Amino acid sequence: MTMFWDIVHLLTGTPLIPVAIMGLVWGILGGALPGISASITMALVLPFTYTMDPAMAIALLACVYIGAEYGGSIPAILIRTPGTNSSAATVIDGYELNRQGRAGEALGISLMSGVVGSLFGLAMLVLLTEPLSWLALAFTPPSYFGLGILGLSVIASMTGGSLLKGLAAAVIGLMIATVGTDPISGVTRFTFDVPDLLNGVEPVLVMVGLFAMTELMSQSGSTNVTELKESVRVRLPSLAMMNRLRRSQTIGCILGLFEGLTPGGGGSIAAFMSYNEARRWSKTPEKFGKGSEEGVAAPETANNTVASTALIPLLSFGIPSSNSTAVLLGGLLMHGLLPGPRLFEQNPQVIDSLYVGSFVAIIAQVGVGMLLLPAAVWLVNRPRPYRAGFIFALILSGIYTLNNATFDLGIALALGLVGYLMRMFGFPFLPMILGVVLGHMVESSYRRSLVLSGGDMMVFLQDPICVGLLLASTCFVVYSLTREVRDARKARLEKAEKAKLQEAHG
Amino acid sequence: MDFNASLTRAGTALVLAAALAGGGLFSDTATADPAPYPQKVVTLITHSSPGGGSDVFVRELSKYLGKYINATFVVENVQGGSGAKAVARVAGSPPDGSVFYATTPTYVYTSLLSKPPKTYKDLEPLANIFADSEVVFTRADSPYKTLQDVIDKAKTERGKWGAANPASLERQAAEQLKRAAGVNPAIVTHEGGGDMMLNVLNGTLDIGIGEFQEIRSQLDAGKVRVLATFNPERLPQKPDVPTVKESGYDVQLIKFRGLAGPKGLPDDVTKVWDEAIQKVLQDPDYKKRYTEEVLVAQFVPHKDYAAFVNNFAQNTEAFLKETGAIK
Amino acid sequence: MNKDGWSGLVLLALAGGYYFATGSIANSTLEDEVGAIGLPHALAVVLALIGVALFLRSLRTGRTAATDGRDEQETDVRLPRALGFLALGVVYVLILPYVGYLVSVALLIGAVAFYEGAPRRWTIPAAAIGGAVLYWAIFVKLLGVNQPVGTLFEGLL
Repeated sequence: MTMFWDIVHLLTGTPLIPVAIMGLVWGILGGALPGISASITMALVLPFTYTMDPAMAIALLACVYIGAEYGGSIPAILIRTPGTNSSAATVIDGYELNRQGRAGEALGISLMSGVVGSLFGLAMLVLLTEPLSWLALAFTPPSYFGLGILGLSVIASMTGGSLLKGLAAAVIGLMIATVGTDPISGVTRFTFDVPDLLNGVEPVLVMVGLFAMTELMSQSGSTNVTELKESVRVRLPSLAMMNRLRRSQTIGCILGLFEGLTPGGGGSIAAFMSYNEARRWSKTPEKFGKGSEEGVAAPETANNTVASTALIPLLSFGIPSSNSTAVLLGGLLMHGLLPGPRLFEQNPQVIDSLYVGSFVAIIAQVGVGMLLLPAAVWLVNRPRPYRAGFIFALILSGIYTLNNATFDLGIALALGLVGYLMRMFGFPFLPMILGVVLGHMVESSYRRSLVLSGGDMMVFLQDPICVGLLLASTCFVVYSLTREVRDARKARLEKAEKAKLQEAHG
Repeated sequence: MDFNASLTRAGTALVLAAALAGGGLFSDTATADPAPYPQKVVTLITHSSPGGGSDVFVRELSKYLGKYINATFVVENVQGGSGAKAVARVAGSPPDGSVFYATTPTYVYTSLLSKPPKTYKDLEPLANIFADSEVVFTRADSPYKTLQDVIDKAKTERGKWGAANPASLERQAAEQLKRAAGVNPAIVTHEGGGDMMLNVLNGTLDIGIGEFQEIRSQLDAGKVRVLATFNPERLPQKPDVPTVKESGYDVQLIKFRGLAGPKGLPDDVTKVWDEAIQKVLQDPDYKKRYTEEVLVAQFVPHKDYAAFVNNFAQNTEAFLKETGAIK
Repeated sequence: MNKDGWSGLVLLALAGGYYFATGSIANSTLEDEVGAIGLPHALAVVLALIGVALFLRSLRTGRTAATDGRDEQETDVRLPRALGFLALGVVYVLILPYVGYLVSVALLIGAVAFYEGAPRRWTIPAAAIGGAVLYWAIFVKLLGVNQPVGTLFEGLL
């Protein structure tokens, strides 16, 4: 009963509700601006939490995180630009739905899937922090290697029909990931004495370059670009639709939970993997890539789940599993709070307001989303020449915030050209993006494992988690490849039939 | 009441961030009279991952600096490359007092070992603040009770030691300890202390070598145990932890913590800092905090600090050459 | 030779260039067994193999089996236009350090609108100026990002 009154006090006796809603709105805005990731959005608000009550400050930051993870999907759907790294997978079907004039539906699905994912993540955080935190500890360097390989195995199903081209794209992505400072020895690689390259190439530059720049370039002068209907209304999915999305959302929840616990990815791996799993378990897998509702629901559920479950290793060990939780850690430290088991005993009010604040933000997300989205839809619905100019300027402004470097703008433009050529020559983008995202993790965990074992490759087979993940990757690759080959053959046969028919008629 | 006051402020901050982003907003809440400063926002850059030792240090410091310097302090993590990225970033910034780098010996090591385009020589040391405690620790339920236990294990089978960063003082400490003890364990480098902590807690590593601050939270929770410190003397706050030297291995380290800026810092900026650092070290609240964190105050003013850093760098370079790590 | 053949050759050249660039990676004595150069070498070899395979396959299948996406044919035709669009971005990046954020963004929005065939009316400059002020308010004022002021104007401030 005391707990109940504690919550009532938090909601009525403290400014928790306005704080949560402000955090949410700020997060959605930041997340929706391309290039401004969830962590940057949180870092920008961090100085303002300085003089706030610690409990409110932490709740605010958590709500910003929730908002930003959701906000990233808005430009992904509307202008083919992932607002944050973890919304890159949403681009695939979200933008496709938009092209079919169903942007309002896609936005509604992403909004509700975000709510589902956040609620699930929060429930896990509140109920299972203790047991789940020990799962995070089970991950040794070989396990991380296995996890990275599992992530890379998704490439097999994203080759767009040509295995060779998909692999080539993935290898180029991995090559981009090697630019910068070596994770083990600290020497520089492929930096050509350019200081800006010591940071490596930010994955978001690759995403923005390939998706957004390439799209703007191919739309240039095009006459058959589908114009959005002025009447596009943001529509929340019906109950029947939510029922149909249940499977993909469940997948998103599980993978999001998993990724939140394991330091490294920060949502993008979970988003891609759940997209992929959702396709595999879907009743209508053929719709994926051609405007599938499930293709929006799965990754959006996953990355919103991560926003809550990533707090589990943070609160229990003080170990941030992503850049965003790292900013939250900064917030805790700034207020003299040391994360770890003692935080729960010594500062329960901080934990309580974090939980309750997150809950308020998640519920408010529906209302705030319904208010903000029509404005966003109206904005992207301007005449095409102006829209192109505004989007181009928005992207170039946004990615400048990453490092305050014009060099990054150059990289994004260059990748736009690369993306255009890739499209021209029939190379898929997604393997390249996965390569860039995962390259660092795969390489450093591989080398770290071998240092531990003294060069003995058996180290990977002695780690049960690693073995399990590697087995899963193998099954996955075999399954995907047989399906891809089968589909390609079927498509070829159908085409030949059609040609024959046409000849016969002609 | 307090809640409401802070809310109003936060609300204004969020809604009207446009007008207020420049800072100075909260300076009126400070008790002391802050010294005027040419910059409104000062970015303190750390190469450490958030939650890592240098990061915690600079976030703590920035919290109290506002009382003595009239500016808003922002902490930025420029991770990776063991500081090479951060040095490049600071060296390329204007020398107007708006950007400083929280230095540790790491930046000297990185400059010497990986020869990045920008090195410690491209920065101007501002002042030193602390000497730091570098410790050997292990998980609480590990079989190692003393440093000797760890060495003994490394003699009979393959030891697994962790260093928080590649090419860093921790790495060097591990190499020196390895040589002094005549053992050959695997030395696994990580990307920051948080990263290494997981591997110490789950038993992948026998020991970790890192900064005291980074393990405080786990030490509090009774999850890890400190075996020895690389400091020349025992830590006043932890008198029961022996030094490495007492354990029979002649290795000792002084890990400095200071600030450095781009070359050509104007005198009015360095003067403000010299005074502010002395004051902030005397600040009772801050003093309580840094004592808790096992930091030892060691102020070195701007005029002497360049020589201090150069001396450290020369000794390091000599050592690295001697061991064949660099030519 | 069809598109795949050309792609194969480009990949081969890319792999070669990348392999050549690994020569500049320093050899630290604190290195592990795989080393900083291990993965890059492996990647270069794999990419080269893929390039060769693509090239050989294109020789075998010949002209007809090239690619079949409508998307791709479209992109071929519009390549010059797309490059022109990209060039506007390059100009933006080049002038940004000199004329500053506000002016560059205004010019970019105006130029793109013009390039994309907006009717030549007062609306183009109006959108350019309005857009620039809006973005400046969002990024510089609200978010506090240090967009370049521009060396031309620095003296004035």
